[in-house]
Amino acid sequence: MKARTIAATVAAMAALALALQGCSSSGSSGDGSVSGAGKTLNILTGVDTLYPAEQKQWQQNQAARFKKDTGATLKYDTYASANEELTKIQTSVVSGQGPDVYSIGTTFTPTAYSTGAFVKLSDDDWKKVGGRDRFVQASLGISGPSKGDEIGVPFASRPFVMAYNTKLLKAAGIEKPATTWDEFAEQAKALTKGDTYGIAAGYADGFDVWKFVWAMANQAGNPIVDGKTATIDSPAMRDAYKAYFGWVTSDRVVDPASVGWNNAQALAAFASGKAAYFPMTTATSKNTLDKSAVKGDYAYALMPTVPPGATERPADGRDAASILSGDNLVVANYSSNQDLAFAYIKQVTEQKEQEDFYTTFGQLPTNQAAATALETDDSTLAPLIAAAGKSVATPFSGAWGDVQLAITNITVQSIPALKSGSISDDAIEKQLQTAQKAAESSLKRTK
Amino acid sequence: MVMTTPTVGERAAAPTGDLRPQPKPPRRRGLTTRGRPLWMLLPGGVLMGLVIVVPLLLGVFIALLDLDQYTLRAWLTAPFIGVQNFVEALTDSPLLSSIGISASFALIVTAVTLPIGVTAAIATQNAFRGRAVIRSIFLIPYVLPAFVVATVWRTILQPSGIANNVLSGFGIDGGLWLNGPKSYWALVFVAIWSSWPFIYLLALSGLQSVDTEVHEAAAIDGALWWAKLRYVIFPYLKGPISLAIIISILHAINNFTLPFVLFGVPTPSNVQVMPVLTYIASFQSFRFGLSAAMAIVSLVIVAIPLFVYLRAVRLDSGDEKVLTETEAAE
Repeated sequence: MKARTIAATVAAMAALALALQGCSSSGSSGDGSVSGAGKTLNILTGVDTLYPAEQKQWQQNQAARFKKDTGATLKYDTYASANEELTKIQTSVVSGQGPDVYSIGTTFTPTAYSTGAFVKLSDDDWKKVGGRDRFVQASLGISGPSKGDEIGVPFASRPFVMAYNTKLLKAAGIEKPATTWDEFAEQAKALTKGDTYGIAAGYADGFDVWKFVWAMANQAGNPIVDGKTATIDSPAMRDAYKAYFGWVTSDRVVDPASVGWNNAQALAAFASGKAAYFPMTTATSKNTLDKSAVKGDYAYALMPTVPPGATERPADGRDAASILSGDNLVVANYSSNQDLAFAYIKQVTEQKEQEDFYTTFGQLPTNQAAATALETDDSTLAPLIAAAGKSVATPFSGAWGDVQLAITNITVQSIPALKSGSISDDAIEKQLQTAQKAAESSLKRTK
Repeated sequence: MVMTTPTVGERAAAPTGDLRPQPKPPRRRGLTTRGRPLWMLLPGGVLMGLVIVVPLLLGVFIALLDLDQYTLRAWLTAPFIGVQNFVEALTDSPLLSSIGISASFALIVTAVTLPIGVTAAIATQNAFRGRAVIRSIFLIPYVLPAFVVATVWRTILQPSGIANNVLSGFGIDGGLWLNGPKSYWALVFVAIWSSWPFIYLLALSGLQSVDTEVHEAAAIDGALWWAKLRYVIFPYLKGPISLAIIISILHAINNFTLPFVLFGVPTPSNVQVMPVLTYIASFQSFRFGLSAAMAIVSLVIVAIPLFVYLRAVRLDSGDEKVLTETEAAE
């Protein structure tokens, strides 16, 4: 009997995992109307692992101000990983209850949009959050599929740039950081000596590897997804992977161990002074670097914007310095506190709050006035502000998650070949075909 | 009270009938079987229904729907597509290869942990100084959460991690453990490391049920250690170890945390085990219908050999128990 029970338990486990996701709720949405007295507004946001204490303090400050202004109580709930974020969102979508406001990553916004569970902002709603004009216009690029169908209000901007070691570049006689990917690889070769490498890169990072090839392909004029068509099996993508993998296999400008690194390990290598370039990082690395061996000896620069194999960007190429990266705030359809939610968004996207947010967490403002002020005040931030302006939004498609997974998977499955020191064109081609098929199958399903 | 032979109606009306041994076996046997207080199963049954049967049926229902991110919000009205998800799972997804990986992984882990666990149990059976400490140490891998185990091993198995440093001390190039062909063996190794104490625990419980008289009898008969182990001790362990084998295989097949934390997502193809594949379909691609179909196909494929095994060792019925009782009565 016991064994039968166990067998039955196994039988149910998979179904349980799937079916019971919707049976719990992460919080109450309250019962409020416009005036907030006695109401509670629930916010779901990612936990800040770099600045946990500061995040708590920031949330307390926001809650105090919100209470004063609206009479309502703010309650923050955090998720520690992308998986937890997804689970909570799915649970809320199915059950129709949960947080009122979600802080979600920009690349996840299309998926959130496709569930139809979030408020599309009307003109009136935009007014309630302080007006669409208050925001850096480029940051609105991934708020919705078109201007009238936006769900996301930009809250923080984290454009990707590269950090470089000024001392090492100077010693190698390099006057300014590379602006084309070919030049980047050449400089890296000159910078690789002994146990110091030209580039620090994390090939086993689950989040960042696809961004390299995405940027290179876009610069070559291939957006990867165009409407319902995928163009992963294209020469531009093949060249992008060849360049990216080439740093390990042919150029040998990265530490061989980096095939097992994530981005944090690559950052650590750069911070120890053992690498000259650290591409694909954000302003949040500043805190680590300012406490490291390279303090005072590093600077940020735009990543190259000319595709591999070219000396200048082709006519149809995009000036993609970074993906449009950061966080959007979205309001749940089921929330009965929508006006309070908009009031909250208005509060946290005000100039002063955005400036404070940058000072505390190193994340750039999406408020235009705050961004302008920051650029004027701190010239070292110029590359970051420039990268924010040159950020290109990833395709606004519900299938983007799958496409991203497919192009990340190419790197994951190529790691053994990279480790062995060479990867054939055929192997890359085969991976591209597999990813193309996966992406097409997902795009076909978009509604 | 006058004893009369109860009629069928009377038996039915007396669910809590007399269970004491009676002089007329055939009739009494009938009374005993029919008069069992089955209603006492009700609370457990209701709980089983709620926790197991309902979600299982729901899982089957979801597997028949085109349920994804676009239809999730009103999931009950998601398009009904019959067996299409099953067809896709079997023909156009890596499900079959994942089942192969999971099944071989589970069998290898169980086959290796079994002798380790039994040996450890036998080694710590007799009292010696420090036995309690040794027994506690043996349990450490088992009490550590899978997440912690996987995180620690992920660090150890990095290309420039401790494992490769140690190996290079012996002139061996460890290479890549968390991707490529060796990742499968890394998963097997870590799973063995963390799960052998389970077999050890069950074997230990089996050993402790061996009566002192049996040991004495074996000693009087002059049985040497191997003969004693083979003909006296092992028969006692048959039950607990059979159970341990089943549970160990099921644990390994259902192990999600270990491969997920060890290798991340997307998973290297060599270690894309069933639970991870189902997870990716559900929570990365949002194909809830497809992943439910995958889960059901996996369940059926795993359940067939399991059922055969259960029949073979009779763990699914009370036969063994009844036999023992009968023997005891004789």
